Amino acid sequence: MGLLDKLVTLFGLRKQEVKVLVVGLNNSGKTTVLNHFKAEDDKSTEIVPTVGFNIEKFKNQNVGFTALDMSGQGRYRDLWEFYYKDCQGIIFVVDSSDRLRLAVVRHELDLLLQHPDVAGRALPILFLANKMDQRDALSSVKIAAGLGLDRILDKPWHICASNAVTGEGLEEGVTWFTQQVRQVGQPGNRPSRGGPLAAAK
Amino acid sequence: MAFKRDKKEEEDGGGNPFENIEKTSVLQEARAFNDTSVNPRKCTHILTKVLYLLNQGEQLGTTEATEVFFAMTKLFQSKDVVLRRMVYLGIRELSSIAEDVIIVTSSLTKDMTGNEALYRAAAIRALCSITDVTMLQAIERYMKQAIVDKNPAVSSAALVSSLHLARSAGELVKRWVNEAQEAFSSDNVMVQYHALGLMYHIRKTDRLAVIKLVTKLTKQSLKSPFAVCLLIRIACRLLEDEDGAPGADSTLLSFIESCLRHKTELVIYEAAHAMVNLRRTTAKELAPAVSVLQLFCSTSKPPLRFAAVRTLNQVAMSHPSAVTACNLDLENLITDSNRSIATLAITTLLKTGAESSVDRLMKQIASFVSEISDEFKIVVVQAIRALCTKFPRKHSVLMNFLSAMLRDEGGLDYKASIADTIITIIESNPEAKETGLAHLCEFIEDCEHTSLAVRILHLLGREGPKTKQPSRYIRFIYNRVILENAAVRGAAVAAMAQFGAQCPDLHENVQVLLARCQMDSDDEVRDRATYYYTILALKNRSLYNSYITESLQVSIPALERSLHQYTLNATETPFDMKSVPLAAVEPLVSEIVAQKAVPEGTIMSTPAPQRLGVSKEESALELVSSIPEIAALLPQLGPIFRSSEPVELTESETEYVVRCIKHCFARHLLLQFDVLNTLSDQLLENVRVSLEPAEGYRILREVPIPRLPYSESCSAFCLLEFPQDDLSASTGTFGATLAYMVKDCDPATGLPDSDEGYDDTYMVEDVEVTLADQVQRVWKGNWAAAWEEAANLCELEDTYALTSMRTLQEATTNIVQFLGLQPADRSERVPDGKSNHTLYLAGIFRGGHDVLVRAKLALADGVTMQLTVRASTPDVAELVTSAVG
Ligand SMILES: Nc1nc2c(ncn2[C@@H]2O[C@H](COP(=O)(O)OP(=O)(O)OP(=O)(O)O)[C@@H](O)[C@H]2O)c(=O)[nH]1
Ligand SMILES: [Mg+2]
Repeated sequence: MGLLDKLVTLFGLRKQEVKVLVVGLNNSGKTTVLNHFKAEDDKSTEIVPTVGFNIEKFKNQNVGFTALDMSGQGRYRDLWEFYYKDCQGIIFVVDSSDRLRLAVVRHELDLLLQHPDVAGRALPILFLANKMDQRDALSSVKIAAGLGLDRILDKPWHICASNAVTGEGLEEGVTWFTQQVRQVGQPGNRPSRGGPLAAAK
Repeated sequence: MAFKRDKKEEEDGGGNPFENIEKTSVLQEARAFNDTSVNPRKCTHILTKVLYLLNQGEQLGTTEATEVFFAMTKLFQSKDVVLRRMVYLGIRELSSIAEDVIIVTSSLTKDMTGNEALYRAAAIRALCSITDVTMLQAIERYMKQAIVDKNPAVSSAALVSSLHLARSAGELVKRWVNEAQEAFSSDNVMVQYHALGLMYHIRKTDRLAVIKLVTKLTKQSLKSPFAVCLLIRIACRLLEDEDGAPGADSTLLSFIESCLRHKTELVIYEAAHAMVNLRRTTAKELAPAVSVLQLFCSTSKPPLRFAAVRTLNQVAMSHPSAVTACNLDLENLITDSNRSIATLAITTLLKTGAESSVDRLMKQIASFVSEISDEFKIVVVQAIRALCTKFPRKHSVLMNFLSAMLRDEGGLDYKASIADTIITIIESNPEAKETGLAHLCEFIEDCEHTSLAVRILHLLGREGPKTKQPSRYIRFIYNRVILENAAVRGAAVAAMAQFGAQCPDLHENVQVLLARCQMDSDDEVRDRATYYYTILALKNRSLYNSYITESLQVSIPALERSLHQYTLNATETPFDMKSVPLAAVEPLVSEIVAQKAVPEGTIMSTPAPQRLGVSKEESALELVSSIPEIAALLPQLGPIFRSSEPVELTESETEYVVRCIKHCFARHLLLQFDVLNTLSDQLLENVRVSLEPAEGYRILREVPIPRLPYSESCSAFCLLEFPQDDLSASTGTFGATLAYMVKDCDPATGLPDSDEGYDDTYMVEDVEVTLADQVQRVWKGNWAAAWEEAANLCELEDTYALTSMRTLQEATTNIVQFLGLQPADRSERVPDGKSNHTLYLAGIFRGGHDVLVRAKLALADGVTMQLTVRASTPDVAELVTSAVG
């Protein structure tokens, strides 16, 4: 091992690669969120509904992310589970102005949490209460309550309000997320548990 | 010595690293695709194995395929170019087997529009392989862009993929015509060619539009020689079409002609090939094309020589005199170092040459026949077959040659084509019969192909007893019993029994041999021996006829099923053979060959072996039993007696496509209407065909199609009862109309706009019920004996003048088709140059009535026919005679 490598490891700066799964109902803004993180010359100028999935790569705080941007349309939701097994974190995007479908979101979340490849794993989950700019958007606290997030005891989680078009709120979320996956990546470190406090921010 | 060993190793497959791979272990390895970090080299190697297996014909189950497919989707995270392209190939291979393949749609659209040039074309092809009609709209925009892309590889890929898509989504692809047009003006020769392909395909159903397109393009000079070739083919198709291309014929012809002077050899050849294959080409028009081919015969490029001589070989059949002009050039090719060219040259000369040159040419072929591949040996065999009909006197030279070839090494196809040829010669030339049979006898002494040996034994059983000295064959046949496997032994036993039944002199000997066969180690052989021995012991000619000379008339799978049913219900009543559906007689091999237009330019191998297995009636029964309404009635209806070929009731390319299949029972007629909905914006409900039946018919039951979405085909049924007392009323015409309720719907989702619909109807063509629908063909091995036996049945005789028929062959073919009966003793073929002919037919009318027909035909200002019908009831006989009148 070279000196530089040693230093890098010492300071916890070793380049890490993590795989995250981005899920949520259709039209919630998943693809838009990821587009925000991509390098300037990589960004798509227009965003169309995803069919199946797309793989995007980006970097945050020296961690390389491979994000699977899943399609949220009803007929493709069954396909999410194929990718649960080998992901190290989940970003769950919710359209906070879509009050009508909040129940659907909760149902999909329950399915996800109960899935054998997810249950019992300390996978960090970042909830984005997206489209906060919409007039009838629910606050992140209300979303957290609506989804019953306080039930999640075995996974670190965090919720923050966001606007994927302008990028507002995304940095906060992804910073938390990056910290979490970093800790998971380093053996011996128990991840911190998310909680109502985090949600109340 | 060293060389030999190398060769051996090569044969052992030492060079193929994939030789020993195995499905389960490869599928196991494919799990590596799921690893958190992708190892491109390793994954590429595993994918290669998967593709290798698939291409070797290995079958993956849906679950297996889906698992591999999903694992493979994870490889999209790697940016390795080679791996990604392998993934595209994997997607294409698995797209038809795995489920949920649309999952890669977005990933592929990203690649096809991205910056990585190496991905784009291949991504388009993969995308089109996973896209179904419902998804197509989502990618339409990308396809349009790709068609006009500056990168020729991308544009070509998009054009060709569009062509493939047009098969399932014709309407949508039609909207891309402007893009295709734009691509057509590309400088790239491939793009222009592919664009023309798509432009043509889009207009294909609109004759006038095609004519307009072609006439316009023939006036331009196209950059791409491939496009010119395609244009020539389209022009030919227009010219060959029944209606021709009114007003444009001469333009098209002179365009093709002008291409003979094109600067590219490819185009020149295409034009020449087109000219010689056009049915309308006259000898005068042929001349320039043939001289071009003649020129090619002496070029230094082997592919050109090959193409030229192959085409000349074909023309030699239709226009022998035109080809004679090239004889000198062809002679030069006889010694061509490329044996394929030499073979074609010789066989062409054989076709056009005089009788005197046959010996010389045959000797020439013999000198290298062992060096050419089986495929070309078959070409030689076919040339010999043609020669035998042309020069019957040469049969002994040719037969000797054939038998020498039979003794050579060779695959089954090749051996079968030789045996077929010998059989044809035997059948068409009585003089050659004994020699031919002798050769075949010798051949089976050492024949490694069981199927062929069985066929030949069957032939010996049929023809041997009618020869001058039947006893000669017994030894050859009995040798098989001693030396061969069970299948061949069984066939030999059956063949011997034929001699026992037809040659009283041999009866005793055959019985001795059959008695020995009853000791055989194989059940089937013993059973056959016992069966034949017992019947022959009874010495009753009529029993011989029905149980030895004639084969079983019922369909074997149906018999098996009926017997199984019978054993399930314990009953005292004996099994009734009449309850078993009859076997439809397979069309004669010669008929199949005649019907199946051989695609031009192919080298024909032997006709496909006769299909075995499920008959039309069997599969119809399966379908019908799955419809509860009809299945409930089946016990009353009895077995399906005969199912007709499908009859189109609409033109193709109409809004709805309707075809009708007539299933005939003993007293009922079940009409099956297959309806296809080709309108993407309509959902049809309660679809049925309403009939105005001919007099005497009674409609018992109608089963509509509840729901018929776009691009689906479903069946509606109508059950009728045949007229009860008047048999002559059973042929007739029914008016028919398609009736249904329409719900307009969104083409993208197929969901109706509202629950409201409206009723509509659509005129279709009349349904016609003919005599042929009500009879089943029966093949009589000994028609004369059957006719004799039927002497005490009802007989009717009538004379007809068939004024519209010009030849005896035409009349014969028509009568066979019209009556739907089976010709016996090859009487459906009229020997050349005869002025009278007798046709022997046999069949069974629904309800189990035997029908035998003898038609004596004479050529005299049209054809006159004396028709004699023997049938078990008078009204059946009358129906047959009146059907002709
Ligand atoms: N006003 C507002 N619009 C947003 C926001 N985020 C996304 N959108 C818009 O919402 C629409 C859907 O966004 P996508 O990113 O395609 O949604 P998705 O979750 O990827 O949808 P699927 O791929 O169908 O599952 C787009 O028109 C976005 O511009 C947001 O924070 N505010
Ligand atoms: Mg999306």
